[in-house]
Amino acid sequence: MAKVGVYVCHCGSNIGGVVDVEAVRKHAETLPDVTISRQNLFMCSDPGQEIIRQDIRDGLVDKVVVAACTPRTHEPIFRKVLEGEGLNKFFFEMANIRDQDSWVHAHDHDGATAKAKKIVDSAVAKAKNLMPLEDKYVDVTQAALVIGGGVAGIFSALELANMGHKVYLVEKDPSIGGVMAQLDKTFPTNDCSACILTPVMVDAGTHPNIELLTYSEIESVEGYIGNFDVKIRKKQAYVDWKKCTGCGDCADACPVRTPNEYNAGLDNRSAAYIHFPQAVPKKAVIDMTSCINCGGRKIGSETRISKKTGKPILAPCERACPAGAIDRSKAVDPEGEILDVKIGTIVVATGYKVMEKDNFKSLAPDSPNVLTALQLERLISATGPTGGKFLRPSDGEKPKTISFLSCVGSRDEKHHTYCSRVCCMYMIKQAKLLKEKYADLNIYMHFMDVRTPGKDFDEYYTSAMDMGIRFVRGRVGGIDMLPGDKLKIMAYDADLAQNIEVESDLVVLATAIELQDNIKPLAQKLSLTLDGSGFFKELHPKLKPVETAVEGVFLAGCCQGPKDIPDTVAQAKGAAAAAAVPLAQKRVKIDPTISEIDREKCSGCGICEPLCPYGAITMVAVNGSHPRARIEMTQCKGCGVCTTACPSAAIELHGYSEAQIMAQITALTL
Amino acid sequence: MEKCGIYLGCNIPFKAPDIEQSFNKVFPKLGVELVDLEGATCCPAWGTAPSFDIDTWLAISGRNINIAEEKDVDIMTGCNSCFGVMSEAKHMIDHDAAKRKKLNENLALIDRKFKGNSDVFHVSHVLYDRIGLEKIKESLKYTLKELKIAVQPGCHILWPTEVMEVKEKNSFFPTILKELCEVLEADVPHYSALNACCGMGAMRSTDQARSFGLFKTKLVNMKEEIDPDMIVTTCSSCYLQFDGAQKNLRESGEIDFEIPVFYYTQLLALCMGFDPKNVAAISATPRDQIIQKIQSEARLIKQEA
Amino acid sequence: MAAINLSKMNQEEVIQAVIDHGGAGITKCIQCNACASVCPVAKAGFPLFGRLLFRKLQTGHYEEIIEDASSWACQACNRCTEICPRDAKPFEIVFAFRRMQAGELAISTSAFTPLMSLHATGHAVYSETSQELREQVGLPPVPVTSIADEKAQKEIQTLLDNGPMGELGIF
Repeated sequence: MAKVGVYVCHCGSNIGGVVDVEAVRKHAETLPDVTISRQNLFMCSDPGQEIIRQDIRDGLVDKVVVAACTPRTHEPIFRKVLEGEGLNKFFFEMANIRDQDSWVHAHDHDGATAKAKKIVDSAVAKAKNLMPLEDKYVDVTQAALVIGGGVAGIFSALELANMGHKVYLVEKDPSIGGVMAQLDKTFPTNDCSACILTPVMVDAGTHPNIELLTYSEIESVEGYIGNFDVKIRKKQAYVDWKKCTGCGDCADACPVRTPNEYNAGLDNRSAAYIHFPQAVPKKAVIDMTSCINCGGRKIGSETRISKKTGKPILAPCERACPAGAIDRSKAVDPEGEILDVKIGTIVVATGYKVMEKDNFKSLAPDSPNVLTALQLERLISATGPTGGKFLRPSDGEKPKTISFLSCVGSRDEKHHTYCSRVCCMYMIKQAKLLKEKYADLNIYMHFMDVRTPGKDFDEYYTSAMDMGIRFVRGRVGGIDMLPGDKLKIMAYDADLAQNIEVESDLVVLATAIELQDNIKPLAQKLSLTLDGSGFFKELHPKLKPVETAVEGVFLAGCCQGPKDIPDTVAQAKGAAAAAAVPLAQKRVKIDPTISEIDREKCSGCGICEPLCPYGAITMVAVNGSHPRARIEMTQCKGCGVCTTACPSAAIELHGYSEAQIMAQITALTL
Repeated sequence: MEKCGIYLGCNIPFKAPDIEQSFNKVFPKLGVELVDLEGATCCPAWGTAPSFDIDTWLAISGRNINIAEEKDVDIMTGCNSCFGVMSEAKHMIDHDAAKRKKLNENLALIDRKFKGNSDVFHVSHVLYDRIGLEKIKESLKYTLKELKIAVQPGCHILWPTEVMEVKEKNSFFPTILKELCEVLEADVPHYSALNACCGMGAMRSTDQARSFGLFKTKLVNMKEEIDPDMIVTTCSSCYLQFDGAQKNLRESGEIDFEIPVFYYTQLLALCMGFDPKNVAAISATPRDQIIQKIQSEARLIKQEA
Repeated sequence: MAAINLSKMNQEEVIQAVIDHGGAGITKCIQCNACASVCPVAKAGFPLFGRLLFRKLQTGHYEEIIEDASSWACQACNRCTEICPRDAKPFEIVFAFRRMQAGELAISTSAFTPLMSLHATGHAVYSETSQELREQVGLPPVPVTSIADEKAQKEIQTLLDNGPMGELGIF
């Protein structure tokens, strides 16, 4: 006979304000096998826990049911109580009478009380049938992977490397640096983005513990926490990076012109190019999608000799390279090279992109003088297309009036409902930088409202007003294209209560931040989920902000949601710390509430194998040729899909056995 | 020959029947047989049933669409308002099961049942999307080379894009009517107030002075920015405003210029060589001169041997 | 103007009425003013357009604004609906308010003529002089619409008389 103790929690007024806790406690007392039933204002408090400890010490109970909140947050706390008193910690069952009862039936006290009793019945029925389980452990590979080489990835990598861990830093572009490397200055201090980022990029590039893998992408991720097998594709650069000195002569020689991503499409780059002047590593790549194979020099083609000169006919890039790093006669694999690495923990820091202006049809996207804020950032940067000169794209004239439009694609049900968080501040920054340099420039800022939550942010905003920057409250509904490439902003000044029009030379759209394109395949490879806003979903919005549902995979930076540079760096360091824990512990615990196959009962039908969402099941030949299902315990998450599907009832999900579940159902239907 | 139900509305048959005649002339020539929708009523206009009761609106629009359904044809309207009213009605009927049920309860009173197999198109959609620019080009007798047109697409054909069968690439900077005019070889420059409202319709009947104020802003913008030889529209309401209210503004001394106005198919019919006595005979703002100019010897398109 | 005591305004009732008349987006409006920035009614200088009308309704104003004719100047251009970041469908709210006004016959007398014409002929707009115009351009004096079709006129009368419009005593 089991001795079940039931402990009903008020959870302050969360449960007690709706459910008649005393009635539930009394009811529990009447259940078979229940030896004791108590109530407390907060069962999770120290005195609350002590009640359970005392009852175990007194030999009154050997199975514990706490009727309270959710096991997601509180099960570990009560399991520890059992463990501390020498009981198997899996002799514990939680009855959730808060989230599933008092919160949803807040206006029906009698109904909620009746339901609470049923939930307790069910938990007690299961508790009687609980079996002891033991935690399992696996070793952790001593290496971390950081995906994404923007400011988040760089800081995560440096943090882990400085703790002494080996780090692979993977970046899809030829250089690390990310969007921050495209910014001119940063708010609210106006310090130069390149000046603060470049030294950190160099640190990451030279750190003995960091293996920098730029121009690389994640091909596949298999395995589990502590033991990930990751394939990384090093994309084909068509330049021998061992020889390349980053001199840029190939880029100068290349005749191709194609939109320059680094300058947000405002100018062109060549097909052979260096990502940007401060690139780390500073290596050239040839972009084969735009390369025109000058002189018929297709990759891998035989070198022809000129009849005229008797010299080999080479493409301009080959000829220009003083280091001999470009040899187009070499037949290299266009698919690049695959690296296999073993990884203990992973930090995902894939960053974001800003929406393109073409999405906003009412805002004259076809005008060359309508720019995204990132384009303006490049336009005023010393490394930008105009060398930092502030000129209109349509005719190279100096603008007299510029208008900024906020919330373009943000807070908009047709695009993204969220606030992109950084736009108000970066618009103010851009306006201030321009006004400092060009005092006679007219600047209009069109806002729905100015959002400045951050240290020194609101002071930054109000000082912009002092500089003569004009703020207008009211979302812009349309832009007309005027003769002479000017633009007419149509707005309604909420404070003036009047329709207004502004004729501008340049319009800047603060377009929303969103997840990078093509991120879904990576999410699938990592088994990560996206949240309602389309960003990677953290495990808990408050308490587990860098963890994910996949153990051993952590998030940093804007891939988890829009944030500014200080918040990104803070989160990157946090994610690194979290990712370092399993590395430091050198082994990780595997929850025993997972499925196990009874080889004797398994018919080898294979139904379970494709159903497993975690790829934990393989068919393994037993005794020669007879296949039997096998579950890799480190990959199983205990979801139970295989258990319910098995026609031979050969799979048991520990902690949710058939006997336990049937007892619960019986109790609920009595 | 492709068939299309021709829905006339009110303004075209009773105020501008020369537009109706232009339909009768140009569509058969372009290979579209117009099918009469006998017994069709008002769409119903925005200021009538839609302003009183949604279900009555849907019943009247649904009945009009049903007339086309019975003849197994789609609906083509020449008036933007009719197009807007019936497109919105159709969208509601298609997406709201309760509204559709109520509609059929209402239609049962007059022994009709809404089936939902006829779509609502605008004249400009049929010309642009179903007939195509190439075919229009082949049908022309006179060219509009070196003539400048200000286009007025009108609003109900632009928004909400959600309810339309044929959509502009960018409804805020529409190009369908521009392209339809450019195929006549006219010059169709952009003017900044392109998508602004003409002030016709409900606004004019509510407050004529304010309606004319809005209209004047737009008309003057056209004149100042591009100084067109003519204004071309595919909305019968816009047509009446540009043609009629322009006269009012001139008479009250608000403007001192005169720009002839055409409904697009009138202009197309003229370019095809049809008699202006049939297709462009009624207007408040004179257009004899421009018509003469269009149908002049010098503008004859030389047929390739 | 004296302050309005919001606690004495019947906000819930007015908002519910707007929703019942087809303006479900009324609770979504956040006064961003995008609709007003492009609204012909606002630009033409009418006092009670988009955002302001919505705020009045959200705060329980009804008796105070029922006689205002601004809503009847709405062109139904739907540009507001196309750009509203809250997808509140401002046009539908304006028309919901119109329907509330119409239900109490708070409409201008000029609106009655088209209604009566619609009921009698099936056409909101009709003039006798049209016959002459039609013949001038070579068309039969009357089109094949409901204007010359008694059955069609009966049908439209049935539809109008059997709905709420039939109870207003207009026809």
